[in-house]
Amino acid sequence: MNDVSARENLYKIGSFNGIDIYKIRSEKFKTNTINVFFHDNLNHERATKNALLPAVLRRGCKSFPSLQDIALYLEELYGAIFDCGVVKKGETQIVHFYMEFISDRYTGDDESLFEKAYRLLYEIITQPVLENEVFRTDYVEQEKENLRKLIEGRINDKLQYAVDKCLEEMCKDEPFSIYEYGSVDDLKDIDSNGLYEYYIRTFLPTLPVSIFITGDVEDGKIQGMMDLFSGMKRGPVKHVVSTPVKKDVKEIRHVTEKMNVNQGKLSIGFRTNIGPSDEEYNSLIVYSSILGGGPHSKLFQNVREKASLAYYAFSRLERFKGLMVISSGIEAENKDKALEIIFDQIEDMKKGNITDYEFDSAIKYLENGLKSMRDSQLQIVDYYLSQVIAGTNYDFDTLINKIKKVTKQDVTDIAAQIQPDTIYFLTAEDK
Amino acid sequence: MDYKTTHYKDINEVIYIYEHKSGLKAFVIPKKGYSKKYATFATHYGSINNEFIPPGEKESLKVPDGIAHFLEHKLFEQEDGSVIDKFSKLGSSPNAYTSFNHTVYLFSCTEKFQENLKLLLEYVQNPYITEESVEKEKGIIGQEIRMYEDNPNWRSSVNLLGALYSRHPIRVDMAGTIESISQINRDYLYKCYNTFYHPSNMMVLVVGDVDHEQVFRQVEESIKTSGSKPEIRRIFPEEPEAINKPYVEQKLAVSVPLFQAGFKDNIKNTGGMDGLYREVAVKLLLEMIMGKSSPLYSQLYSEGLINATFGFDYTIEENYAFSMFGGESPNPEKVRDRILEAIWNIGYTGLDASAFDRIRKAMKGRFVRQFNSVERISHNFISVYFRGVNIFDYLHVYDTISLEYTNDIFRQHFKPEQLALSVIKPV
Repeated sequence: MNDVSARENLYKIGSFNGIDIYKIRSEKFKTNTINVFFHDNLNHERATKNALLPAVLRRGCKSFPSLQDIALYLEELYGAIFDCGVVKKGETQIVHFYMEFISDRYTGDDESLFEKAYRLLYEIITQPVLENEVFRTDYVEQEKENLRKLIEGRINDKLQYAVDKCLEEMCKDEPFSIYEYGSVDDLKDIDSNGLYEYYIRTFLPTLPVSIFITGDVEDGKIQGMMDLFSGMKRGPVKHVVSTPVKKDVKEIRHVTEKMNVNQGKLSIGFRTNIGPSDEEYNSLIVYSSILGGGPHSKLFQNVREKASLAYYAFSRLERFKGLMVISSGIEAENKDKALEIIFDQIEDMKKGNITDYEFDSAIKYLENGLKSMRDSQLQIVDYYLSQVIAGTNYDFDTLINKIKKVTKQDVTDIAAQIQPDTIYFLTAEDK
Repeated sequence: MDYKTTHYKDINEVIYIYEHKSGLKAFVIPKKGYSKKYATFATHYGSINNEFIPPGEKESLKVPDGIAHFLEHKLFEQEDGSVIDKFSKLGSSPNAYTSFNHTVYLFSCTEKFQENLKLLLEYVQNPYITEESVEKEKGIIGQEIRMYEDNPNWRSSVNLLGALYSRHPIRVDMAGTIESISQINRDYLYKCYNTFYHPSNMMVLVVGDVDHEQVFRQVEESIKTSGSKPEIRRIFPEEPEAINKPYVEQKLAVSVPLFQAGFKDNIKNTGGMDGLYREVAVKLLLEMIMGKSSPLYSQLYSEGLINATFGFDYTIEENYAFSMFGGESPNPEKVRDRILEAIWNIGYTGLDASAFDRIRKAMKGRFVRQFNSVERISHNFISVYFRGVNIFDYLHVYDTISLEYTNDIFRQHFKPEQLALSVIKPV
């Protein structure tokens, strides 16, 4: 085990037709994973279609034409897991197809699950079950209904909703305000004909694709997978543009939303004006960690521990759009008190009022978090996907070293350019 | 130093077990190549232990609901400040959680493991609680309770337990209520601490790339051995066999109705291997009845009665057991009726032997997958440990469980009169 340091690092092992294939080798896991990502610019015309497609594709493919057939087959493969979903990173919308399956070492027979897994994944993505040469109408209609409920169901998780809503309000004139699962309005006009047309002419041939394989898979077997994917019909591949991050804030906007809730949810959105591949981004990570990234942070210590106003109070970055959001759940009557404490912390950051304890703990917290990511295949993949999109391509150790080099002065230097943009409050309806 | 080693070659895992003279057991599950070291110090004391006879006393004591969770928060406070600050200085992530049955203190670190472990073992054994800090904590926990009041999934589960159980304290949320925590004081907290935090009622588990002998040496040095092992007398109200009520409903700010339904079990032997077999059997049955590969799931899904949020589970603990299934649905009562109908049909036709084998194989595969994550291993290990078994015992159960036994359990568990439904409806 001499090359332990090379484990959980990213290797690009193939690139053809706008498909990039990466391998992340690690022998410590019981399972292997295959992740296929389709990338697109976040856009009103396509966002809802991109979100609906995986939902329709997962309903069935040529060899396994129904949900039940796929589920039965996955059980045969020692309980392999297939899933799909949609995320956004900045103004890039990403459709994710995922398989996880037991490593051949633990199946107790000679079957190669890897080959079966990538064949199934490929078939689900490229060979949907059809009716009159388009998607099955019942599948499309049912999944439209499910997607509508998913979009409307955003209010069910109040914490997440309050964070998302704050950023959407803040960026309402920018593509970033588009929800990764699209909108109910756009859903109405989609039918199986139009969706299939979009799938066959745009989604499959023109969206850039990246594939990540993790775990313990021999190169020879990966070649088989590359051969299969090279058969995918591809046209000229679209260029996904990077997200603009600069915006000067003229004045702070206040948005209040009333709902039947018990606890008020306060979210404050900021423009950092720092891009994902800027050197300053490393200072920003440290800034956010000191301010609200863990129990050592100013927000936790002051909003929760000292003032007992909240159970949670944190800050979080949206790397690709250059945003930061602060979030806390409080009694509605404490809103002004909470805001005052929060903005005092922001001021302290600007003035460089950062104790050695806060600074050192923040760096160590980040280091611990980054090293810990190496123990989860999903987190490793998400980390490298972000690296690829940002164009930084730092491995874990490189980023850790960059963060360790950040100084208090670096943090204070960027503090002034972090501007509050929108204060959002979700609160109870008037009685 | 004496310790036991057991290898599980099929899944390439090993466990080291050490017994301290106080009666505390310590376990190490090494994970070569993992960055994270995850250590837990847990006590067999949770939110349901709200009535007991403190050691050396004669009278039983009823304490306010939510006190186990409150005590968990308060242990972080030490004479020289919050222990969180000390963990932060070491660059580790401390945390804790309280369930119905146990309270778990933990940290996750990638550096300075020994110092972190020393800190964990010390602070949990040294409470420092003042009236002032108790009052301050009421604001924080109050907001934690308020946060859950707005969580529809949580509310539907808590309401279901209230429908299944009439008197058992599992019907009360772990954190208690704003009302109940207002009654908590320093004296109550120390009474609970002194009753349930004796090492003989506790365990230590480390999962990660560590030297197990070093861990055991630290445990040997740090665990106090003062006094004899106290007898803990936990008191539970007599719970009737029947469910409390078949239907319960609450309105919240949600977009579509969501529900949880479940069957209440009436069994006395819930611990040990018996309980483990029963758990696997009911989970297998739930998969067979309503899992993604079942005909029922496909039908309900196609009719729009369930969606991807649908899921199910089975809980079996020292004196209660129940299944639970649910998700979003425009018509929860119809889903319940269709599930009852499917159960009736299976009761008539019998279980499908090939489905049984296929699902057993899949469940074993998914069990092995859990060993990817140090958190999952720890979490599951602790929850079965206090039931008197070891997480690796599942392997034997998956290999030996029979269709005949599972059929028996089917008839025992899925009784229509034991089913309750909890619905959250939009305001």
